[in-house]
Amino acid sequence: MYNIVGLSEEVTKMVKMLVPYPEKCTGCRFCEMACSLFHEGKINHADARLQVHKKDVRTDFPSVCTHCVACGEECCVHACPVEAIKIEDGIVRVDEDECTACGACVDACPFGVMRMEETAFKCDLCGGDPTCVKFCPMGAIKYEEPNAEQYEKVKRLLEGE
Amino acid sequence: MKAYHGKILRIDLTAGKSSIRTVDERYVRKYLGGQGFVVELVYHGMPKGTDALAPENVLAMAGGLFAGFPIPTGGKTAFAAKSPQTGTLVESIMGGVIGAELRHAGYDALEIVGRAEKPSYIFIEDDSVEIEDASELWGKNTREVPETLKKELGWDVKVACIGVAGEKLVRFACIDCEERQAGRGGLGAVMASKNLKAIAIRGTKDLEPADPGALMELALRYQNIMENAPSFKEDTVYGTGEFLGWINKEKGVFPTRNWQTGVFDEREQIDPYYWATRYVSKNKACFACTKPCGKLFEIKSGKFAGVAVDGLEYETLYSLGSACGNASIESAARGNELCDVLGMDTISAGVAIGFAMELVQRGILTEEDVGMKLTFDNAEDAVPQMLELMGRREGFGDVLADGVKRAAERIGKGADRYAIHTKGMEPPAYDVRGMKGHGLAYMTSTRGACHLRAGFYAPELVGKFWRWEGIDRQSPDGKGEMVATMENFMCVYDSVGLCKFSRGFFLIEKLCEVIEAITGMKFTEDELLGIGERIHNMKGHFNHREGVTRKDWLLPTRVLEDPIPAGPSQGSTISPEQMNKMLDDYMAARGWTADGDPTPEKLEELDIA
Repeated sequence: MYNIVGLSEEVTKMVKMLVPYPEKCTGCRFCEMACSLFHEGKINHADARLQVHKKDVRTDFPSVCTHCVACGEECCVHACPVEAIKIEDGIVRVDEDECTACGACVDACPFGVMRMEETAFKCDLCGGDPTCVKFCPMGAIKYEEPNAEQYEKVKRLLEGE
Repeated sequence: MKAYHGKILRIDLTAGKSSIRTVDERYVRKYLGGQGFVVELVYHGMPKGTDALAPENVLAMAGGLFAGFPIPTGGKTAFAAKSPQTGTLVESIMGGVIGAELRHAGYDALEIVGRAEKPSYIFIEDDSVEIEDASELWGKNTREVPETLKKELGWDVKVACIGVAGEKLVRFACIDCEERQAGRGGLGAVMASKNLKAIAIRGTKDLEPADPGALMELALRYQNIMENAPSFKEDTVYGTGEFLGWINKEKGVFPTRNWQTGVFDEREQIDPYYWATRYVSKNKACFACTKPCGKLFEIKSGKFAGVAVDGLEYETLYSLGSACGNASIESAARGNELCDVLGMDTISAGVAIGFAMELVQRGILTEEDVGMKLTFDNAEDAVPQMLELMGRREGFGDVLADGVKRAAERIGKGADRYAIHTKGMEPPAYDVRGMKGHGLAYMTSTRGACHLRAGFYAPELVGKFWRWEGIDRQSPDGKGEMVATMENFMCVYDSVGLCKFSRGFFLIEKLCEVIEAITGMKFTEDELLGIGERIHNMKGHFNHREGVTRKDWLLPTRVLEDPIPAGPSQGSTISPEQMNKMLDDYMAARGWTADGDPTPEKLEELDIA
């Protein structure tokens, strides 16, 4: 069992996070549209808190981020010069009051899912009932117990681009 | 006018310039989007008698009304131009994302005219429209082109392109976007005739629905309906070929060996119930589809090792399978991959090979003529070999690259007796001798033999659909009006951008609330069907103006004279009397002349100028 940053092992066992399954993604991008519609009331793939990549005939995959999976020195938490990105209950959150919109986190995010408008923003799990999961009948994004291996898979696919 | 931008982007490749045409709500209410828009642009875009490969031909592209909004299976893109294959107005619909991306860039449709001086590609990034040099891309296949462009422009750029077959003006060359194709009618050759290799788009603008809450609720509702329907499992496990065994064995209308019979006894391997569990490594979907029928088909060993293709669709299992007597699924998969990367329509390509094989069988062609053992017995090797030649117009492939109608003219010696087509278009995978109304639909389809302009195979094979019950597939009675109505239905579908596999979920009346949630505009079912009727009439009138008249609609001789020799549809033909009765009924139902042209009164009624 993977231990999410900021949580004890006991608590980690009880939390759920978004888990990407690249091998199940069909590349339809419905999750992006639904995410944007849910949060913004309009469709813009740049507003979506997750991204679907279509690389070649064999490779489609979703890129997501919810809980801190310890991306390493390159991560958003380290990149933020004003410590506006915090880990609360394991979830990576942007403190909009402190964010200066410098964009360092967007550049740093290895998953490409930190977004920027007036402030940085990212996936907030839709308050506990993630829209993307509801719209993925293939199970390419699941809301379930932590599984860091799947994040590693996505990271490797992104590095190959 | 929510959801629309009110802008059509026109690019003149000869002048190297782009311009914007503004459109208002009246235009949108007339044509909706997608097919409606591209048909309007082509219909009004060129003088009578324009050569399909001349700079004056219009290549139009538009996302459907739903494209870019989260409606399950509603992400389709329509292309259209005058076709070098049929001489008619051909629209071809793909599941690629390019139409939605165009909307995000701020345009409801794209109209391309002229011819660039040298190989070029178009790069649209919101308000910026550039025509760039594509010398380095010329000669590349449909996988290499997007790969190259994305390296240069960014991974999130969407690319539609042509392959080598397009460059060589193969008359059934397609346009590709992310392994999805606008396959029929040779629109890839039209693109090449403009020296246009690719269209790359990055759109960053919002698409704003009129009622986001209602749209989200509709999206969830239909997502749930589709996921819980029996067809969900069939599509996601077996793909569109799921019913192949049923069509073949129960109905006996699965065209085999260039339509010499309707049952393919050797079907075992090409049936998805055989190959899905052995070769499919993941599901693939069109843009915005939560009910994926696409399959990643991979071959890991043997002489076709390395094949990875998004397929095989039902139609391709016929065209590269039974139509050529090809019982090898691996060979058909390799053929499908070749068609995709070279950029050719799998239906026309396969039917053309099956046609040549029958000519060899009958001694009209010899092994020397075709340069290989082009026989039904040798299909496993011959199909991929001949596809390579066709895509590059090498050897005998050059003859077949013009399609069966022109190939028969070139070969002579009575070859036209075995050329299966209407209006020069090779037919899809339904032997219409046992499906009379579908045979009518092959004739009335404005782009030549097509299963999707009316989608009439479903009502006839199942026996009921929508307004009708107790449909007898062997009877010509009443088919004229039914086919005309279904054509209007399908024009609406292609204009909103919905997949036709969803027509059981979204009957036309169901579309009204979706359109209202997205655009705020109210329509009734009759109004929508009226728009479909307008679109179909425009295509029909254009075709008649271009000299494609009733004589060109007629069914191939084999369908009229050679009964299906075996199986459940044994003895079936469509007699000339039945054919003409159905055509007369159809013209009457449409309000068209006997020769196949909308009357002036009909044009006026539909506000077509």
